[in-house]
Amino acid sequence: MDTFSFCIRKFLYGIPLIFGVTFISFLLMVYFGPDKTYDLLGKNPTEAEIQAIRHELGYDKPFLIRYKNYVVDLVTLNFGNSDSSGEKVSSIFARTIPVTLALSLPGFILGNLIAIALALLAAYYRGGWEDKAIMVGSVIGMSISFLIVIIAFQVIFCTSYGLNLFPVQGWSMESFTDYLSYVTVPTLATIFVGLGYNTRFYRAVIVEEMGRDHVRTARAFGCPPGKLLFKYVLKNSMIPIITRVVFTIPFVIIGGSILIESYFSIPGVGLVSFNAITSGDQPVLKALVGATAILYVFALTLTDILYRVVDPRIAVR
Amino acid sequence: MKPSVQIQVREKKDSLWKLAFRKFRQDRLGMAAFVVVGIYFVIAILVHFGVLGQGWEILATRRAEGISADHWFGTNMNGQDIFKRVVFSTKTAFEVGMSVAILSTVIGALLGCLAGFFSGTWIDEAVIWLYGCLDSIPFYLFVAAVAFALKGNPYAMHIAMISTFWTTTARLIRGEVIKIKHFEYVEAARALGVGKIRVMLRHILPNTNHILLVQVTIVFVTAIKSEVILSFLGLGVRDGISWGLMIAEASQEVGAGVFNNFLSASIFMFVLVMAFNIFSDALQDALDPKKVTA
Repeated sequence: MDTFSFCIRKFLYGIPLIFGVTFISFLLMVYFGPDKTYDLLGKNPTEAEIQAIRHELGYDKPFLIRYKNYVVDLVTLNFGNSDSSGEKVSSIFARTIPVTLALSLPGFILGNLIAIALALLAAYYRGGWEDKAIMVGSVIGMSISFLIVIIAFQVIFCTSYGLNLFPVQGWSMESFTDYLSYVTVPTLATIFVGLGYNTRFYRAVIVEEMGRDHVRTARAFGCPPGKLLFKYVLKNSMIPIITRVVFTIPFVIIGGSILIESYFSIPGVGLVSFNAITSGDQPVLKALVGATAILYVFALTLTDILYRVVDPRIAVR
Repeated sequence: MKPSVQIQVREKKDSLWKLAFRKFRQDRLGMAAFVVVGIYFVIAILVHFGVLGQGWEILATRRAEGISADHWFGTNMNGQDIFKRVVFSTKTAFEVGMSVAILSTVIGALLGCLAGFFSGTWIDEAVIWLYGCLDSIPFYLFVAAVAFALKGNPYAMHIAMISTFWTTTARLIRGEVIKIKHFEYVEAARALGVGKIRVMLRHILPNTNHILLVQVTIVFVTAIKSEVILSFLGLGVRDGISWGLMIAEASQEVGAGVFNNFLSASIFMFVLVMAFNIFSDALQDALDPKKVTA
């Protein structure tokens, strides 16, 4: 019961945030967004026709009513139809979200695991050559733009100018081998891009934890490195690590998939967003911003609950 | 003999800034990075005054040409000189980086200081709410939304970056100000009747300068890197040329085996970003008060 009321309270904190996010996206996309009246009218419209269309689009209603309608549309998943294809936005999402998850989750999970492993290694040998090599590597990794990584990886792995091991672009989940052949290069690119930043961050967290008294005591008692790192150091650094992982979700899943999917022509949410951005498809963008922001607030609430699972001391606060 | 009391006192009075500066000068890698950034900055200034990189838009006769005496890095698919374009883009990068870094840090410093000083009141809550909201919107979509709302304003990208990149600075400054405002000297200043605004701007904010300086360098790098991706998405620089636009156009060329454009823009950008990252690290080490006093 205690946990339940904790979750409820945490969720209530998210409500002002949801209002703020929907308000910003409403302001930018709908209120100051493009006027669609003349897209829907024929040539030489009469004053009455203009008024009718404006009424249909809701332009004549007061500000707050329009905002209310926008939120109601978001909550009821009624996003309207895409400007470019005419397909229902909600059905576009239903079709593309699984693809994006299948594409970006392996890279996201592997990337974080590898970064944590490297960070543990670097922190354990702090000041040694292992540490220095990993740190130099991560500064180099941080300095290469995502776009450059994608283009370079595609040339290296997928074209006849390089190794030519994988298909240049496309997507298929018919069989597992198909899936692997299409997902490998994007996954490598995702891992590579995040690795530098993540390793540095995790190393800083772990180095701080390694300096604590209990770790020194465990070392003095002759605790083997594996047990030391996983039981005493990693477990205690879980809070910042979880925060980091959740906070990077929107950047990796949304930001990363926009680039990767448009470059490898993979039919996921990212490609939909890319096309919506380049063609100015307002209903799709509106839905994307609103929906991702709300999901993000949910994720933040989830983080708070996860904190409590990982560290029961948090509940005292 | 030598160690008189006066000299010892004067040595102790060496400011943190002086110590940090001395420490930074001893950091060879940091100095090297600083020199590289300086060279880029000089290039950007020279481009600005029309000495370098002019004529980047001129179409030469031969397309996708290799390296030659006329075209140092060859030409792209349209037959434009890549070297001139890459050099001119340095100016664009500094324009984007500096405007975004300085303005967003100023906003972050002011709002963070305000929130920290009035922590626990509605002002604090409002600032936290504002950066919470901005952080919840995926960045690329936010830029697209701003571009939408501003209807093709060439500075839509700059505005979008400034209005989202201040949040990290504000968080850091807020935390620091909450720490500083309980110091005795602040209480003393208040007790002497110094106004709240003056205490904030004169006595608290200058003590967060070390954070702000590092933030400027970090935001600068983030801005340059974001520009590349935004230009690829068609949301970036509108007029002129930038590394992002070059890489975007190169993405059409690499399929045909023409790599000059891609490599030049990538390497030019990589060196600057790398140097800036190292410079930023060195600055952080030098300014860390714990390490300076130790």
